[in-house]
Amino acid sequence: MKIVICDGHNEADYIIKMFKKKENTLIVINNDKNYASYLSKTHRIPVIYGDSYKKNILEEANIYNADVLIALNETNDANQFVICTLAKSLFNVKKVICTVKNPNNVDLFKELGVDSPISSSYLLGNSVRAESSVESLIKSMTLDDNKISMVEVTVSENFAICNRKIMEINFPKFANISCIYRKPNVIIPNGQTIILPKDKLLIVSAPIDQKKVIEYVSRTKEV
Amino acid sequence: MKLKTKDKLGKNKPLPSSKITKVEEENLFAFIPNRKKPLLRNKTIVVGCGRLGASIANKGNKDGKNVLVVDNNKNAFELLDDTFSGYTIVGDVLDYKTLENAYITSAKEIIITTGNDNINIFLALLCRNIYQVPNIYVRLDDPNMSVLLENKDIEIILPFKLSFDMLEKIRTEGGNK
Repeated sequence: MKIVICDGHNEADYIIKMFKKKENTLIVINNDKNYASYLSKTHRIPVIYGDSYKKNILEEANIYNADVLIALNETNDANQFVICTLAKSLFNVKKVICTVKNPNNVDLFKELGVDSPISSSYLLGNSVRAESSVESLIKSMTLDDNKISMVEVTVSENFAICNRKIMEINFPKFANISCIYRKPNVIIPNGQTIILPKDKLLIVSAPIDQKKVIEYVSRTKEV
Repeated sequence: MKLKTKDKLGKNKPLPSSKITKVEEENLFAFIPNRKKPLLRNKTIVVGCGRLGASIANKGNKDGKNVLVVDNNKNAFELLDDTFSGYTIVGDVLDYKTLENAYITSAKEIIITTGNDNINIFLALLCRNIYQVPNIYVRLDDPNMSVLLENKDIEIILPFKLSFDMLEKIRTEGGNK
């Protein structure tokens, strides 16, 4: 793979370490002169010093037909955008990844042709929301840009579904129990599987149905 | 204003009947720009209140246009005339909310003259692809950058090229003998 890494300090260092293998060609561009020399000394690779949003610097670095370009300078979103667009439109780079300062720009960048814009606050917000929106028993996560949601529910004894076969409980059609974790085993359930207390159910559904699923599962037994 | 719609997040829209589209609308972080079709486009937006931006804003104001000026520095508006009667908006244009505060959804034309080429390019593409502003004018200091905006129905003004051409023209015509 031909990988281009633009700017960034510790992040660049880390990524170079990760991808420094024989099969990868690394091209490193950095706009900090001292850090550029540090990178080239520690990793023993050529580092180009310059602003990577300039066409001539990218030409000099010969990034034509690279597989991935990673832009790590988080200070200015416009610079990041220009690096990505230049790489895509003029240098035929297959995939561009950039860090974004303003989380609002993530969706805009995606629409304007950047493959994966990454914002730390966007990711943080996502995970905070996933952790806090539901009860303490239940953890949830989402896959593929929030189109699929996975909920983890720990069954307690007072749940209505406890100690019953899955085929008996009339599970809603919009969701599916994809797996049950019963220490120390992982069970792929079928209709005959009995749900026991302290089981962890992993339920897959659409995000819009997530609340309904949680409501359904955590109904308590009618007294 | 009528143009400020409540349903920025798409919540007030009637739910679509099929389930698959529902899932797409239920995006967790709905930082979605306002794409509602405006009732009318009559605003002239000037981004960057430098010498060029301010002069254009002053001229537009004199011609009776509906002018809004955006800049991230409050002091920049001192370049505007005392008689300037349009709106001035302070904010970072890299955040689309500033642009929406400047009624970009009902803009007839936008003139982008900030001092940073990268911001200019980003804004121009944003206005073209997402807000679909009919007339976009961009100033770029670096002529090499204009490749990114070619064939996109964006008018590019290159001060370098203009002065170069002018100089060449004056020199060929004689100049100081």
